[in-house]
Amino acid sequence: MGELAAGLGEAFRLLLSGDAEVYAIAGRTLLISAAATALSLAIGCPAGLALARGRFRGRTLLLSFVHAGMGMPPVVVGLVLWLLITRSGPLGGLGLAYTPTAMIAAQFLIATPLVIGFTAASVQALPPLLPDLLATLGAGRLRSLWLLLREARLGMLAAVMAGFGAVVSEVGAAMTVGGNLRGSTRVLTTAIVTATGRGDLSQAAALGIILLALAFTVTFLLTRLQQRRTD
Amino acid sequence: MDVRVADLTLDRGDRRVLDVDALDFPAGSVTAVFGPNGSGKTSLLRCVAGLERMRGNVTIGGQPVRRGDPRVALAFQESVFLHDTVRANLSLGLALRDIHRIEREGRIAQMAEECGLAAVLDRPAASLSAGEAQRANLARTLALAAPVTLLDEPLSGFDRIGRVRMLEEIPALLATHATTAIIVTHDREEAFRLADRLVLLVGGRVVAAGPAGPLYRSPPDADTARLLGYTVIRLGGRTIGFAPGTLRRGPGEPGFPVVVTREVDMGNHRHLIGRFGRGQGAVTIELRLDPDEPGAVPGEELLVHPTRWTEFGAGTGAS
Amino acid sequence: MARWMPAAVMAAAIGLAGCSDGARRELILATTTSVQDAGLLDSLLPPFERAQRVRVKVIAVGTGAALEMARRGDADVVIAHAPELERRYEEDGSLVGGRLVMRNDFVLVGPPEDSAGARSAGGLDAAMRAIAAAGRFVSRGDGSGTEARELALWRDAGVAPDSIAERVETGQGQGATLLVASERGAYTLTDRATFTVLGPRLGLAIVSAGDPRLVNEYRAHRVRSDDARAGARAQAFLEYLVSAEAQELIGRFGMSRHGRELFIPASSG
Repeated sequence: MGELAAGLGEAFRLLLSGDAEVYAIAGRTLLISAAATALSLAIGCPAGLALARGRFRGRTLLLSFVHAGMGMPPVVVGLVLWLLITRSGPLGGLGLAYTPTAMIAAQFLIATPLVIGFTAASVQALPPLLPDLLATLGAGRLRSLWLLLREARLGMLAAVMAGFGAVVSEVGAAMTVGGNLRGSTRVLTTAIVTATGRGDLSQAAALGIILLALAFTVTFLLTRLQQRRTD
Repeated sequence: MDVRVADLTLDRGDRRVLDVDALDFPAGSVTAVFGPNGSGKTSLLRCVAGLERMRGNVTIGGQPVRRGDPRVALAFQESVFLHDTVRANLSLGLALRDIHRIEREGRIAQMAEECGLAAVLDRPAASLSAGEAQRANLARTLALAAPVTLLDEPLSGFDRIGRVRMLEEIPALLATHATTAIIVTHDREEAFRLADRLVLLVGGRVVAAGPAGPLYRSPPDADTARLLGYTVIRLGGRTIGFAPGTLRRGPGEPGFPVVVTREVDMGNHRHLIGRFGRGQGAVTIELRLDPDEPGAVPGEELLVHPTRWTEFGAGTGAS
Repeated sequence: MARWMPAAVMAAAIGLAGCSDGARRELILATTTSVQDAGLLDSLLPPFERAQRVRVKVIAVGTGAALEMARRGDADVVIAHAPELERRYEEDGSLVGGRLVMRNDFVLVGPPEDSAGARSAGGLDAAMRAIAAAGRFVSRGDGSGTEARELALWRDAGVAPDSIAERVETGQGQGATLLVASERGAYTLTDRATFTVLGPRLGLAIVSAGDPRLVNEYRAHRVRSDDARAGARAQAFLEYLVSAEAQELIGRFGMSRHGRELFIPASSG
């Protein structure tokens, strides 16, 4: 218990004293995870919509892959990606190993199945007649898709929360592809691992508390958005 | 704008749900599509709205209809709304048709008044009662004043008073905008009050189409007659149909015996309910009694005859 | 139900705590990662465990963390390789009975083409300065003995580590740090054992070795304890590590798989 209390004190001290490195790590964490979540939304929403509404061969199989992907161990995703982007790997020429870009890519791969799955589920939960209704109200194809997603916003925001929550709290892939380089790819989770490895448990606890606060704040804002627009 | 349907077929899986050679809805006409459950009425409406992947042609004003066609407005039988207020739901279609905000508000106010929705306009659509939802559903479609308006069982959500009113309002609204309307209904009174033309569908095929009055007065076959509410009986080797209220007590040509099952007091008049024939082929017969006319006891056998009747198969006749 | 929950949690906690004291025949060894990563403990521990009927639990962390565990009483025996640091813990009384178990050496490794010219710089200090001037360097940055040695080398070379633009810290163990150096074409300091084991898979070559300051000595210490039985077990383990049997195992380790010794037993001089 002592370490936790000390950690809480240390967390406040680090935050209040404006510790540049802690703020940089927290900011980087937010930036990388937000970018990855945004990308996975950009790809996952249309894909989820297509899987939910489409009538094509192999739809069920694809959906099964997506559902399996939702539970994919992040560290395996990280490992596979690392093997691709390492110097001797097929994508080695891109020089992505141990860069924030690689971390965004890994987190994108982790979050996208979640976003697709949540989107597909929430679109499928809409009244089946809704697309036809929108068409008869005069909505064109793109407009219809947009309105459908808007109708599914409860589930969509759940998708955002699930995606962001998964990547911001993930350590295995971040460590593997990012390498935990101080000042460039060190994020809150990997910084916690390092602090723990150094035996600096108060610092680890402080970073943990900051991570929890960050994840909670984002989730809280999204939840408020979700609940406000629901009557 | 006129609506033309030609060589239309629609399959669901192995089942052919629509098979229509040719069907025209003249510009400004109001047509009631009438038929038993599962006869393809709703499917026909969906085809005209461009919602189905069908084979054949549906044109509006000579141009093929397409999904999301702004020339068509369709009120589905099920009331589906977006997660928003009633007002926003009524407004969406108008906004998608680029109708100016001020006109939008005017039309919404008017439709809300007509359909008894003024008090609930700013409530979430999800909170409406079943009846209110049906009315909002209808109001949303009528507010669009589209050149082609399709209504699927439009009055099922109205109580009797509202229904009587809407039976007058809907034709007036449709006439104001010179709308070509197609209305699916299973209620004969609705069909005649709302529409000037009838299309009768059975098993996905058009069995009769034309102006409502003449079609009713001389149905082309026994199935059509039954759909229109005729009682059809086999009398000797003949098939005879007669409309409700045309039966009188006493012998006549063609006359037949009825075994009375009970007498029903309808308030302003009484009905004798009886049975003609036996077993599987038995037909229920209704005989309207005048206020001072004597009744009958169950089990009593009466002779009755229709004042007007149609004979099918071997030509038609009337007394 | 809610009322007895705290009591149940307490009881469980006391039960668990009871299990971890001297009553169970186990010994917690906090060790620097290089000993574990190289695989030495896999062959060193079983004979001791069999003979003493004791289970040795290995916690592999950086030397800094291992020593910190000792201070907190979370370990029974510590193996470390940062002599100055260890001395501080001996002085404050957390560690007792230190024994030199084995040694090898640190090596400075870098890209085979040696872009910074460290190999031809002439001496360790010059090599460090060449890397600081023209190369990339990957540091453990995890408070390990290796990092402590690296920082000492920068100090000797007259270079402030923070002033090197291309120096990054991984905050991870030796293996991961070598991988990062290999991927980035960077230099790093490593113990020879880990480099020998991982070397064939890395694009790295030794650029400097043999300087007396690169000697890497592994010492084992007993953690001061009030529990006599735990203390005796820890003492037995220390004695085992310097026994002829263990020293021979250390000397033989690595010969079969890597064709060379990874650690030099202390007994050999």
